[in-house]
Amino acid sequence: MIAFDSITKTFAGVTALNNVSLSIERGECHGLMGENGAGKSTLGKILAGIYSPDSGTVNIDGKSQSISSPRDAMRAGIGMVHQELAFCPDLTVAENLCMGIYPRKFGLFLDRKAMIAKAEKLLAQIDVSLDVCQCMRALSTAQEQLVQIAAAVGTNARILIFDEPTSSLSEPESQALFGLIERLRARGVTMIYVSHRMPEVFRLCDRISVLRDGKYVGTMTRAEATQDAIVRMMIGRSVTDYFPQHLDSSAGDVMLRVRNLTSPGKFNDVSFDIRRGEIVGFAGLVGAGRSEIATAIFGLDPSASGSIELNGKPLRLGSVRQAMSRGIGLVPEDRKRQGLVLGMSGRGNFSLASLDRLSRMGLLDFAEERRQAADYFDRLRVKTPSLEAPVAGLSGGNQQKIALAKWLGRGAKLLIVDEPTRGVDIGAKAAIHQIIDNLARQGVAIMLISSELPEVLNLSTRILVMREGRLVGEVPRAQATQERVVRLMANVAEATS
Amino acid sequence: METQSIAEISSPRSSVRKFRLPRMQELGLVVVIVVLGAILSTYGWYDARPGHPNTFLNKDNLIDGIATPMSYYAIMAVGQTFVIITAGIDISVGAIMAVSALGSAALLIRISPHYSTSTIIVLSVAMPLAIGLLCGLLNGLLIVALDLHPFIVTLGTMSIFRGLANVIPWDTLTNTLDPKTLVLPKATAPLMKYQIGGVNVIPGITMLICVILGGIYLRLMVAGRQVYAIGGNEQASRYSGLRVKWIKLWVYALSGLSAGVAGMVSLGRFGTASTSTGNTYELTVIAAAVVGGASLSGGRGTALGALLGTLVIAMIENGIYTLNLKQEYRLIIIGCAIVVAVSLDQISALINERRLARLGGRAS
Ligand SMILES: Nc1ncnc2c1ncn2[C@@H]1O[C@H](COP(=O)(O)OP(=O)(O)OP(=O)(O)O)[C@@H](O)[C@H]1O
Ligand SMILES: [Mg+2]
Repeated sequence: MIAFDSITKTFAGVTALNNVSLSIERGECHGLMGENGAGKSTLGKILAGIYSPDSGTVNIDGKSQSISSPRDAMRAGIGMVHQELAFCPDLTVAENLCMGIYPRKFGLFLDRKAMIAKAEKLLAQIDVSLDVCQCMRALSTAQEQLVQIAAAVGTNARILIFDEPTSSLSEPESQALFGLIERLRARGVTMIYVSHRMPEVFRLCDRISVLRDGKYVGTMTRAEATQDAIVRMMIGRSVTDYFPQHLDSSAGDVMLRVRNLTSPGKFNDVSFDIRRGEIVGFAGLVGAGRSEIATAIFGLDPSASGSIELNGKPLRLGSVRQAMSRGIGLVPEDRKRQGLVLGMSGRGNFSLASLDRLSRMGLLDFAEERRQAADYFDRLRVKTPSLEAPVAGLSGGNQQKIALAKWLGRGAKLLIVDEPTRGVDIGAKAAIHQIIDNLARQGVAIMLISSELPEVLNLSTRILVMREGRLVGEVPRAQATQERVVRLMANVAEATS
Repeated sequence: METQSIAEISSPRSSVRKFRLPRMQELGLVVVIVVLGAILSTYGWYDARPGHPNTFLNKDNLIDGIATPMSYYAIMAVGQTFVIITAGIDISVGAIMAVSALGSAALLIRISPHYSTSTIIVLSVAMPLAIGLLCGLLNGLLIVALDLHPFIVTLGTMSIFRGLANVIPWDTLTNTLDPKTLVLPKATAPLMKYQIGGVNVIPGITMLICVILGGIYLRLMVAGRQVYAIGGNEQASRYSGLRVKWIKLWVYALSGLSAGVAGMVSLGRFGTASTSTGNTYELTVIAAAVVGGASLSGGRGTALGALLGTLVIAMIENGIYTLNLKQEYRLIIIGCAIVVAVSLDQISALINERRLARLGGRAS
């Protein structure tokens, strides 16, 4: 039904797609995989009319289709859930959801009631209940992702592109999305599904295609595909998930002691300890308050109260600079808004948190800065045309790697990582897991927040579960199973099973 | 041990490809300046009476006709560039220039008889700078402490400072002087009228010093990097532990300081200041900074760009004289030139991108 015919697309010196031909059948859910920067999002955006190819054509239903703007795409019945979320932050959720096709009264006036009803209905399709009259700005990354999905599905498109839709969703929300995808498939909607999470690709997709360095590698049906085969196609060798070897949770002294930490409307009366050398995983649903705790510990929440001790000495709340000088680092959840200065080079972003260490008498040490940046970019396999290229032009996963490198480069006694591998490909993910584990082994205390449950289960020495702003349970690694943690997250009693 | 295991897992091919983009932001401007210079000197050669020097390309015109008049603008454009990089704007610089020149003039008149020449010279330099810095700090404080938009704050302070400039001379000097124009004793002359080869060089040299200092600050210093960072993404800067408020405050203080320097140069050069000193200069200053490559949405701009942007405008203004164009068309021509210069910058960026895209296509 959709046939990409020798598509080539380049950006300022970078070949994103190189002669890619790929066909997608009517009504199938077609998985698209590849390393960070392989060109998956670019291919999706070409179909959605955001980029036009340098050469090659897109055929839909056998006809060559010229889609040169998102409007054309919409008219041709194509919708896309973008990897990088883009909304008007000061409009309400409902206004954002209905953008482009506002319900009208008398053909001229905005029908507010209808708009709100429509927005709620769209969100209900993926089991989301949100106050649609609040501003977009107030939502968390994961909630934005849900709204983004609802918006794309709501256009009644017959072709839908999902570009890493679950990258910040936790298990139950992802399940709701999968349900929706099954219903769409039953309605005959053709879907392209991009993800780095293997299990969901295997679960949803009828066929899986792989891109590598902008070139088409091949397609497999679900029946013939194995995880190992796909990974080999993606990176040319196999990668095994990294499992940390040291699982001792009572190793060191207490590094971080949090007592009765409260921030009105975000989280309530939270107390926990993290020891030196521990990786404490935080699990919870979207909106459970995990990221909010992280920002409060890092001194970014002026309304937080309670007490925090680091290394036995109290930490003043609300001061980032003190948190940093005492050795706390935070890799924030939202790389675009909080993690990176998009217009700056990769090198500039890398050094932003450690400028004090890369300078002498206020003057920057450029050679050292460049050396460290190159070193970390290499370790994390960042794909970028040069250290000087603005990070705005990098693929999502590569941006994430830079946001992480920035804090790994600074070094910390307590490192808080919030979704450290969001949108990162399999090979780099294993490398990141290994780096985190190595840090813990060297005595760094790690607070790991992740919506990807397998990541939390594999990596953590201990798992804390949050629900609606409260700490509701602690599961030692030995007893941590996916089922048990999900139950705690969603408040389903064990007896009911 | 640790690095070994990481090296194991990362791929053998280096994923950071190493080639540098050969793009210098100011290159387009240099081309414009060279072309403009060529046109003007050709006409100047053709226009000159036999036996007389080129009407454009001669020492007097280049220094007295271009470098000196542009120095005020360029000095303030460097300060303005700092502000614009943080995605702010300072439209009070013209008024600050007036207040610092007039304020110092008023003070200098009262004290000059009692002090030695060297003291007076030091005072005539230090006072306008101090006044400019104070005005800039006030701007910064209002913007940072009250979290107001810089356009509105500096619109207000522009009016306040200009009003102050109107008020100062009146109550201190009514009895001794014509209220519109203050004539300073020759206090500032020894420094500011210093000549090399028969031309005043101090304004031009002051301008170059400001550009060099600004360039060092922005390019080489940590503080400069932080200015770019908060302009590019304020929230991410806060998450990186930058003192966003301090940096902003300081940036407006620097812009005020640069206006103070311009006031000092103006006071020294004319030995006088009037209530119309620096009037509407802010518009040219902002235009110069933007022509020089500063982006009003923040994160971009250089000190050298500010100098070159001002130079483009100054050459066109000077060209109107040397080409014997009607003065009535001055504003129209300069207005057009600004719009063209800004769009040229866009176009050159686009061409550069295309060129790189072609190179990239061939390389693969
Ligand atoms: N707007 C842009 N400007 C410059 N380069 C770009 C732009 N968009 C993409 N690229 C480059 O094109 C290549 C492919 O990017 P793309 O976003 O398609 O990767 P991806 O496969 O989606 O990766 P990820 O898994 O990280 O999302 C990357 O090397 C990226 O640097
Ligand atoms: Mg992508």
